[in-house]
Amino acid sequence: MKNIVIGRYVPGNSFLYRMDPRTKLIALIALMVAAFLIQSFTHMLVSLALVTLLLVAGRISVKRVYLGLRPLMFLLFFTFIFQVMFNQEGDEIFTLPLHYSLLSIVAAAAVVVFWFMTKKHVRFKLFYFLFTVAAVFAVLHYIDFGVLFGEGTFRVFEEGLSTAFFIMVRLIIIIMLSTILTITTKPTDLNLGLERVLKPLRIVRINTEEIAMIISIALRYIPTLLDEANKIMLAQASRGVDFQEGKLKDKVVQIISLLVPMFIISFQRSDDLANAMEARSFVPGQPRTRLHVLTWKRLDTFALTLSLVALVAVIVVRVV
Amino acid sequence: MSLIEIENVSFTYHGNKKALDDVSLSIEKGEWVSILGHNGSGKSTLSKLIVGLLKPQQGVIRVGGITLSADTVRDIRKKVGIVFQNPDNQFVGVTVRDDIAFGLENLQIEREEMIERIEHYAKKVDMYSYLNKEPHNLSGGQKQRVAIAGILAMKTDVIIFDEATAMLDPEGRERVMEYMRALNREGTTIITITHDMKEAVLSDRIVVLKDGRVLKSDKSENILKDKATLEKSNLELLLPLEIMHYLNENGIENPSLKEFLWQLSLNG
Ligand SMILES: Nc1ncnc2c1ncn2[C@@H]1O[C@H](COP(=O)(O)OP(=O)(O)OP(=O)(O)O)[C@@H](O)[C@H]1O
Ligand SMILES: [Mg+2]
Repeated sequence: MKNIVIGRYVPGNSFLYRMDPRTKLIALIALMVAAFLIQSFTHMLVSLALVTLLLVAGRISVKRVYLGLRPLMFLLFFTFIFQVMFNQEGDEIFTLPLHYSLLSIVAAAAVVVFWFMTKKHVRFKLFYFLFTVAAVFAVLHYIDFGVLFGEGTFRVFEEGLSTAFFIMVRLIIIIMLSTILTITTKPTDLNLGLERVLKPLRIVRINTEEIAMIISIALRYIPTLLDEANKIMLAQASRGVDFQEGKLKDKVVQIISLLVPMFIISFQRSDDLANAMEARSFVPGQPRTRLHVLTWKRLDTFALTLSLVALVAVIVVRVV
Repeated sequence: MSLIEIENVSFTYHGNKKALDDVSLSIEKGEWVSILGHNGSGKSTLSKLIVGLLKPQQGVIRVGGITLSADTVRDIRKKVGIVFQNPDNQFVGVTVRDDIAFGLENLQIEREEMIERIEHYAKKVDMYSYLNKEPHNLSGGQKQRVAIAGILAMKTDVIIFDEATAMLDPEGRERVMEYMRALNREGTTIITITHDMKEAVLSDRIVVLKDGRVLKSDKSENILKDKATLEKSNLELLLPLEIMHYLNENGIENPSLKEFLWQLSLNG
């Protein structure tokens, strides 16, 4: 569980690493907003190309970003399918007559079952899934015999397709940008940057330093808690709780046998931690000096200007 | 005037029986005091009271002449540091460097000074090459050393070790005791709370707590030889002393052997 790749800092050296975390955070927000405002097909593709370029120029391994994307692939994919199937606005650009017969439905079901049984052994799961979906439609389209009891049409509309495209590319851009941020920024720096960027919120009486402290402690304790969860799972497994298999009822037992000790230990831990912090003269809300300082460089001014210009340009294009 | 003066202090956790009952104790500057006692005898409660993490219902605590109260607790925490038992539960920073810095940031030490102290004290506990490491990459003993460096960097007059060696292996334990010895030689007042008699042997004085009361407070030598007191509070005798008592009980007089056994117990 410690091998979670999303949002992990990976040591490296490029202009992205040298940038101030404040720059990266503000630029990230600006570019995300821009990505949401873009409405032209070509601009969208250009943005995607630019983000990819940023990745390459910043010497970030594309594979890592892909690994970051992978857990969200199916989400992206279902958004796509959903839009294509149910958004029925605009011109109809594709029509496929379907036939529902006993034979075609059994065949379609067989395709799905076959996919389900074999998908473990296939490397390119997503492509295999796409292929299966296509196969189901092909079966429903071409088999028009064998106790026919209904007809239908699968229609794709322009609006559906374009909405699906935009949502997908936007999400990909956002995930890529935030992965760039977390890969190139140490958690401490990211946290400090966040604290500084949120500083204006002090006007509305939000204690940003405290929030930053909470985030930093959470960051520090996540690996410890995962470790602990592992230990408890082993301990419970040795008492006969089976974490591998089981029906819903067993799953509930498993989860309870994990959560109850986790809660108790966490309370003890936070109590101890609070004592340790207080004994080391920590007083919430009191001014503290900081070991880490952020230094603003020319690179930062440049990068920040560039991303704000990009945002303004997108807004202008949209309004005009 | 003693450095730490505890006068008739009583403390009760909400709705329980008294955890400390009319405890009076004073600790001199530069002294090394061990606090012994069975589980639940009130040792940790006493240490938390001294640094103001708990507030006594009765009695007075003075550190360096300052009476502990809500107004003075911050000044007192600048004088007294405490290392707790569980190394995992007192590691605040994301890295070793950040963790040692934590207390210094709270004390509002200037950055340059902070960097200097971090490096100096990291070297002192042999963790210099680990400064950028994250806690989950460290062993329990290493984390405990970081905790010690974090307290040392705050340059307190007194350091309390509340079973700080209990979760360490013999080597880690030996190491921490080495630091205690060095610190004490440099003039830091040390209070060790422990179940480990080897640790207690090193100290100048032993205070034995039993059911929230001070059962005995005397020079280490005297307490360690006092089988009755130790037994009364479920404490173990060191093996050489056990042999010495056996000799005494059987009327075997051999001063040079006894001296040898005593030296043996002092040197672990
Ligand atoms: N947070 C708490 N709430 C209620 N009672 C507590 C709390 N902490 C300790 N006690 C009780 O106070 C008494 C003294 O506890 P204390 O932790 O000071 O003992 P100790 O000598 O440090 O023991 P140990 O050797 O186990 O660490 C015990 O009876 C304990 O049950
Ligand atoms: Mg205790």
